[in-house]
Amino acid sequence: MKYRIRHVTHYHYPGPVSLCHNELHLAPRDTAVQSLQSLEIQVSPLPGYQAERLDFFGNRVHCFSIRQSHRELEITAGSQVILQPSGAEPRGLQAWETVCDRLLQENTSETLDARQYVLPSPQVPLLSELHDYAARSLLPGRPLREAVEELMGRIFQDFEYRPGFTSVSTELSMVMRHRCGVCQDFAHLALGCLRSHGLAARYVSGYLETLPPPGQKKLEGADASHAWFSVYIPGEGWLDLDPTNNLIPMDRHITLAWGRDYTDVTPVKGVLFGGGDSHALEVRVDVVREG
Amino acid sequence: MAVHAPLPLLTPEYALSGNRFDELLTPEGALRPQWEPIMGALAQLGREGLAERAADVGRLLRESGVTYNVYSDPQGAERSWPLDPVPMVLESKEWAVIETGLIQRAELLNLILKDLYGPRELIRKGLLPLELIYGYPGFLRPCVGSLPEVPNPLALYAADLVRRPDGHFVVLGDRTQAPSGAGYALENRVILSRVFPSLYRDAQAHRLTRFFQTLRQSLIGLPSPATGPDAPRVVLLSPGPLNETWFEHVYLAGYLGYTLVQGQDLVVSEGRVWLRSLNGPEPVDVILRRVDDSFCDPLELRQDSRLGVAGLLEVARQGRVAIVNPLGSGVLECPALSAYLPAIARHLLGQDLILSTVETWWCGDPLQREYVLSRLEQLVIRDLEPGRSATLFGDTLSRSEREALKDRIHANPRGFVAQERLELSTLPALGPAGDLEPRRGWLRTYLCAREGDYVVMPGGLSRVAGSRGAAWVSNQAGGVSKDTWVLASEAEPSLGLVGAMPMVGGLGTPVSLSGRVAENLFWMGRYAERAEGTLRLIQVVLTRRRLVRESGAIGTRDATLRTLLRALTHLTATYPGFVLAGAETALADPAPELLELILNRERIGSLGFTLQALLRAGHELRDRISGDSWRVISGLQERSNALGQWRPHDPEHLARNLDELITHLLAMSGLAQESTPRHLNWVFLDAGRRLERGLLLTSLLRATLVRPCAPEDEPPLLEAVLNYAENTAADPQALRPEALLDSLLVDERNPRSLGFQLAALECHGAAMPRTERDERLTPAERLILEARTELRRLQLRELTQPDAQGGHRQALDQCLARQQHLLGSASQALSRSYFDFTRSQHLLVSNLPVPGI
Repeated sequence: MKYRIRHVTHYHYPGPVSLCHNELHLAPRDTAVQSLQSLEIQVSPLPGYQAERLDFFGNRVHCFSIRQSHRELEITAGSQVILQPSGAEPRGLQAWETVCDRLLQENTSETLDARQYVLPSPQVPLLSELHDYAARSLLPGRPLREAVEELMGRIFQDFEYRPGFTSVSTELSMVMRHRCGVCQDFAHLALGCLRSHGLAARYVSGYLETLPPPGQKKLEGADASHAWFSVYIPGEGWLDLDPTNNLIPMDRHITLAWGRDYTDVTPVKGVLFGGGDSHALEVRVDVVREG
Repeated sequence: MAVHAPLPLLTPEYALSGNRFDELLTPEGALRPQWEPIMGALAQLGREGLAERAADVGRLLRESGVTYNVYSDPQGAERSWPLDPVPMVLESKEWAVIETGLIQRAELLNLILKDLYGPRELIRKGLLPLELIYGYPGFLRPCVGSLPEVPNPLALYAADLVRRPDGHFVVLGDRTQAPSGAGYALENRVILSRVFPSLYRDAQAHRLTRFFQTLRQSLIGLPSPATGPDAPRVVLLSPGPLNETWFEHVYLAGYLGYTLVQGQDLVVSEGRVWLRSLNGPEPVDVILRRVDDSFCDPLELRQDSRLGVAGLLEVARQGRVAIVNPLGSGVLECPALSAYLPAIARHLLGQDLILSTVETWWCGDPLQREYVLSRLEQLVIRDLEPGRSATLFGDTLSRSEREALKDRIHANPRGFVAQERLELSTLPALGPAGDLEPRRGWLRTYLCAREGDYVVMPGGLSRVAGSRGAAWVSNQAGGVSKDTWVLASEAEPSLGLVGAMPMVGGLGTPVSLSGRVAENLFWMGRYAERAEGTLRLIQVVLTRRRLVRESGAIGTRDATLRTLLRALTHLTATYPGFVLAGAETALADPAPELLELILNRERIGSLGFTLQALLRAGHELRDRISGDSWRVISGLQERSNALGQWRPHDPEHLARNLDELITHLLAMSGLAQESTPRHLNWVFLDAGRRLERGLLLTSLLRATLVRPCAPEDEPPLLEAVLNYAENTAADPQALRPEALLDSLLVDERNPRSLGFQLAALECHGAAMPRTERDERLTPAERLILEARTELRRLQLRELTQPDAQGGHRQALDQCLARQQHLLGSASQALSRSYFDFTRSQHLLVSNLPVPGI
């Protein structure tokens, strides 16, 4: 499956911005099932400085700064990726406790790398309420995949998808209390549940191709950023799960970046000087299937 | 066993030691040899002599304004730096071992730093637990791969040493991100060598100068982008005047000759760091920082930081600025690291640690945790989360507190570390009884990298507990510092005077001027003038009040006094006061309101408030203020504090205090006038003063000359106004408004006149940098020019004619109001042109909200 992605972020400031520094996590990663064919990142106005590097988690990061005074900033990330589901995703038949034990005992570099995702992270504290919530799915001896899929299903059932209720800085305890949120809240929730039991789980940022209602044409800019989570199974690898849609991502989820939580892979962040008190933000994402 | 005679100066029971090591005496009570010359000299001085020297130390500290701030102090006030007159003494043989041990440790820490921000082999090989490092908040993931390509990225390193009862030193902790205290060590030495000149010379203590010279050379030698023929530009980045060790930042910047900056003075652009000078951006090559790691870059590190520079880490990553120490170095301060150091030393260096490290157990490891939980009462427990690093002594906890701590450790084992409980050694310190008593203490030592090696400061910062009984040392609990003398085995050549060069040279030095500094200078000028003007008018009011009383008249009826009281409210903008609601009550008994206007620091416009604002500005400008001026500011601070102690019933009781205050304020303006070169610093300072003087004068004239006045009341009023302006009249009775206005408004030769202020402001405006390239007149200059031109065109005779109706002088009022308006606008224009770019460029961190699906 080949996709063409266009992600436009447009800021409009009430006052002139004299200088800005930005950091982008907008380059799709190469994974076992995904390969990046092309990538073009355009910034307007033209940055006076730009650079690219790999971050701690192996994601590609672009950073730039603009010194020229401006009132609008537009960042366009265009890419082409090929998704080839192998059909051999981890089966996760080991008991979840076995997975926990092997994480601590095995010394392969992959397992060692995965162990960092057991620790709490800035937006995912290990709350006891998360531990308790997950315990109902993580029954003794239960195969890992079965347990985690059930946990995902419960999050899907128990929590209402309600855009606007939470923001990027909403605490997990709030999400728990009000039982609603958006994709990143559900991903964080699942991460906290699994980590509090000693499992390694990471946050995945990306896109989901949306399909128009039957018989209608797909609207431009109708797609959006998305987020889900991934759990590590020693000897088998990482298994992605999307609690917002209660499904295992196959050929419609495009992976941008992963980290401990949202703060590690924020798609666009920046510090700016001037610009007034507020700003208008417009984001348009198109995920178009080709051929 | 030999019985030793009790030594003079020592408290009688000094030698009765428990289980401790005493630096001065052997367990048998004999003086350790390295102390002999010093104790001999002190004994000759006797108790009185020692007390005198201690007083000298205190005086020198106060005069040079050596202070530190205590965060937990609700007053937030600065405290005088406490320094004991007796140094800590170490002999050269023992020091040589310490030196070798410290260098070994510094090298080891460098290897660990490079590994953690590079390949992380130590984790892979199991020498460091992954959970310890990855879970420690000081491990900064964005810093991976950003260390400079030098053998020793840790350019500065400090270690806290404690001597065990067996006489061996152990390392209690490491300071790696922004070690503090070296400046205090230097200041301690400067003061002690002044108080004991011959003792210091004869004792042959190693000098500290060379260490700082090495530091300078190392910083200049750091790889950074070539900026042409000029030497690399080094700045000292401080969190600002509220920081605990602000004085030290000022002192070190001055001593080393670096520009002292705060985050807002720097900016990253085009992949480089720049100093935002009013004359345009100036490149910065090396940053000696006193800001903690995570606060240094709001883009990649803590987003809520206002102390850092956005984009700094990326510049460091590209090797286009050198930061000392590199961002991320704080990971080495993790106290749990000590548990793994011996094994890492064997692995990386093939050596055992020369200086042992405090025994440490990390609770994230099940075995170590078990050990800790089984003997909590013998250990010291620390929380690894920075900011919560309160140290708990197991033996001081009650049973229930101990159980609660166990629960916390069980809930978050990775967040706790335990250390052995160390018995600190004791040092002789001057006690409250005037003799020397044993107090617990420790020593902070400093190292600086030099061409792949390290140089150890021969000395350091010793600190002892605030009282004899205290088992531990902390600033909060009144810890006292000590100079540290490492005795040389042979005399070393003198390298010039230590401390001969502190402070870059005061307000006159043409160092770069940032918008922040310019703004502080401007406001310092304004507050100084406002304080002086307020004080002067209060004195004029009090004089009139006295005069009326002496003449037996009823004060409340005296028209002149009433007018002057009202003028005071106008001048200080402290309404309602003597003008609006309740004015009659206040006028009937002016004492309470007058006292308020003098003493109430909370009331905007009061003398107390203005003095505080002035002192704050002075504090922030510490690095720009010369020694003499600082003494005046210190004196002002003392007087201002003394004023705050008073609760008199009548302002008359404060007359002497007010006189003293005005003397200090005059000394301040005198120094600014007579001892300050006319560089840009001075231009902003004096512009503030001139502007404020003009504003105060117009305000006073409006309040006194506009309202109708009985012919017999006019002369005393005019005379009072003249006195305010420090002018006198040959014949007060013959004084006419027209002549007064000629002198106070128009006459540009009178330094108290409005005309003089405007003329000076015109010069200052011309000396200020242009913000637009082809700007002929800045907005502020335009306004000043307008005011001056209008002033010159005035027809005084017409202006002084009272209106036919009501007897007011409306025309005069309008013209004074117009001058006030122009001056106020000029002040705002200056802000916009020169200061706002610091303030309005607030950081706005924006995260993309995830729309979600």
